[in-house]
Amino acid sequence: MNRRNFAFALAAALLAWPLTAEAQLKVVTSTTDLYDIAKSVGGNKITAVHISEGYQDPHFVEAKPSFILQLKNADVFAFVGLDLEIGWMPLLIDGARNPRIRQGGSGYLDVSRAIRLLDVPGGNVDRSQGDVHPLGNPHYWLDPDNAKRIAGLFRNKFSELDPKNASFYSANEKAFDNRLDAAARGWAAARAQIRGKPVVAYHTSWRYLAEYTGMNIVAFMEPKPGVPPSPSHLAQVMATVRRTGAKAIIIEPFYDRKTADLIAARTGAKVLVLPPSVGGVRGLNDYVSVMQYDIQQVAGAVQ
Amino acid sequence: MRPSSILTAVALCCATAVGAQQPDTTSKRDSTRRAPRSAADSAAKADSAARADSIFIEQQLRGGAGAAPSGPATPQPATGSTGPINPRLLPDVSAVGDLIADLSPDGSTQEDGSRFGIREVEVAIQAAVDPYFRGDVFIGLNDVEKVTIEQAYLTTTSLPYGLEVRLGRYLMPFGKQNLTHRHDLHTIEYPYVIQRFFGPEGLKGTGLWVSKIFSPFGFYQELQLTAVDRYGEAPEGLTTERPMNRRLSGLAYTARLRNYVDFTQAANLELSASAITGRREQPLACDLDPLICPSFNAVGARQSVLAADATYRWRPLQQGLYKSFILQAEVMRQLNDATPELPSGAPVAAYAGPSRDATGAYVFARYQLGQRLFVGSRYDHVGETTPGEGSLGAASGYIEWFPSEFSKLVAGYERVMPGGVAVKDSDRILLQASFAVGPHKPHPF
Repeated sequence: MNRRNFAFALAAALLAWPLTAEAQLKVVTSTTDLYDIAKSVGGNKITAVHISEGYQDPHFVEAKPSFILQLKNADVFAFVGLDLEIGWMPLLIDGARNPRIRQGGSGYLDVSRAIRLLDVPGGNVDRSQGDVHPLGNPHYWLDPDNAKRIAGLFRNKFSELDPKNASFYSANEKAFDNRLDAAARGWAAARAQIRGKPVVAYHTSWRYLAEYTGMNIVAFMEPKPGVPPSPSHLAQVMATVRRTGAKAIIIEPFYDRKTADLIAARTGAKVLVLPPSVGGVRGLNDYVSVMQYDIQQVAGAVQ
Repeated sequence: MRPSSILTAVALCCATAVGAQQPDTTSKRDSTRRAPRSAADSAAKADSAARADSIFIEQQLRGGAGAAPSGPATPQPATGSTGPINPRLLPDVSAVGDLIADLSPDGSTQEDGSRFGIREVEVAIQAAVDPYFRGDVFIGLNDVEKVTIEQAYLTTTSLPYGLEVRLGRYLMPFGKQNLTHRHDLHTIEYPYVIQRFFGPEGLKGTGLWVSKIFSPFGFYQELQLTAVDRYGEAPEGLTTERPMNRRLSGLAYTARLRNYVDFTQAANLELSASAITGRREQPLACDLDPLICPSFNAVGARQSVLAADATYRWRPLQQGLYKSFILQAEVMRQLNDATPELPSGAPVAAYAGPSRDATGAYVFARYQLGQRLFVGSRYDHVGETTPGEGSLGAASGYIEWFPSEFSKLVAGYERVMPGGVAVKDSDRILLQASFAVGPHKPHPF
């Protein structure tokens, strides 16, 4: 290649690069799980970032101005919804001044709208019931069937905003579903071992995993959602563990495990610090790996 | 037996629920097929074990008696939401109560002299107005001022280029703490520099606010500009020859530049600079002589304040429920026109307003001890602006306990050290309880 041709090629590459970059959808997600599924569907046609980390309590994220910069130019903001992010998301959306990601905007993606929800209160709800979510339990991504629904939602949204790549998104969604199905076949035996086994959970985060695996959550460490365990409640949990023979206490990495260790020491149950989200444990950097890890850990503990 | 142990024992006896949240009722339970024949024995053993457990937990946790758990709520699987959540388009309505007890040894230091008082009840009404604006209204209710419009503003939601415009009355974007509602401060009152320079409820204004966010250097920056009808609240008993806002130069103007940098995921720093200028009513020395001051007793004098604030935050993401730290400081320099132009109708009146420039500052630190418990401390200093007024120093400490995100109990002790030889130091003991009901929006970062 002579010097002139090289200069042309370089100029063409420089011109083409920003066009390619501009063509990518800018996606911001509130959690790492949504990020991973969005990336699986969007592939190289999107750029994606997430706000909370997998080892962080998604209820309590600081509304840092640096997140506002991420949202300022976003085409899509996908969030869990059901008031999971109520403590910080309104500040970020207001601060971003981006009409695309405001309610009613083309990029406002409340993922919960595609989900079959658990724990939707039947009657009146007030805060005497703790940090209850009046619209339903928001930890739905821990059911792989819901992950497929989420992938479908992303496929629809990306195809709507970027119709020329609709077939690409559909193919990626199918590949994600296939990968999940293959993984599910791999953990089917572990899932069968879990079914019906009593366990204790710290927070209501694990309700959807229980729905998927059939494990039986016989008690929660929190007396009410978001309320730290009291000594009297812990004593009741211990009694429940003894009565039911629960062998595992499941706790997220962002909770203080001291109380779980207390119960384990008195009952012989095993404390399982399980990541509820992608990145919750070092090395678990995709959704399928997290689900596989969690299911196998529970299966091993309830043997 | 320790009181907390008694409480635990009582709770154990009274409590009937076991899975107090939402035990999984959707799974098939092997445990439900337990033989009933030895129920009494099992219950006795369970009671005994529970008591032993409670003593063990008490020893490990050293108290922390909590409320007895409630009965389990039955989970109800449901399909995903399909209809609107708020079909009647109702705004979010919430209320915040701010209760103060003043146990200071030398008498109440509250504005109304009360020992126990409701400092304010704030009612907030907030909603999207249309596709272009959001509306926020905050009504303040208290025994002194009765009903006041604390804030009421319209904010654009769809301007391009990172712009936002706000119209109405709002907490002025000047310094850091002034933007926080008083009931939501980490301390019980605003720092003294804000109280002395702008008033006990901070600086509010009614007018136009324009802001823009940008990041040419890779970090968050925001420029906030305002033009408001007047500089601070109108002082009682002071009347000027002509209204302050007769000319545009009589309005108040502010500018603030925010700079925010993440050091790590856990640590960040905000550095900002602010300025305000405007004319304020300042007293004339008329000696009640109508010949000197026929129909007014004040003159409009220019006052400006330059300020800088810094806030360092540390909150590790994984342990963020239990650990955090804030170090914050603000310094303000008030510049006063010592020789304002006297009104033509009072050529011989003497100016009696602030004639000196003064500096005020505070440093505040807050450390989180546990999931619900924080301790904080603040040191204040404000210089004198008027001869004889005296400078002021204060040191205070606070304990904050949050039973939940929606209630807060604060105990504070303060040593107030006024300048001057004839004034003694004094102690203040303040207690605060505040609560929020309804969907109150989160406060600014």
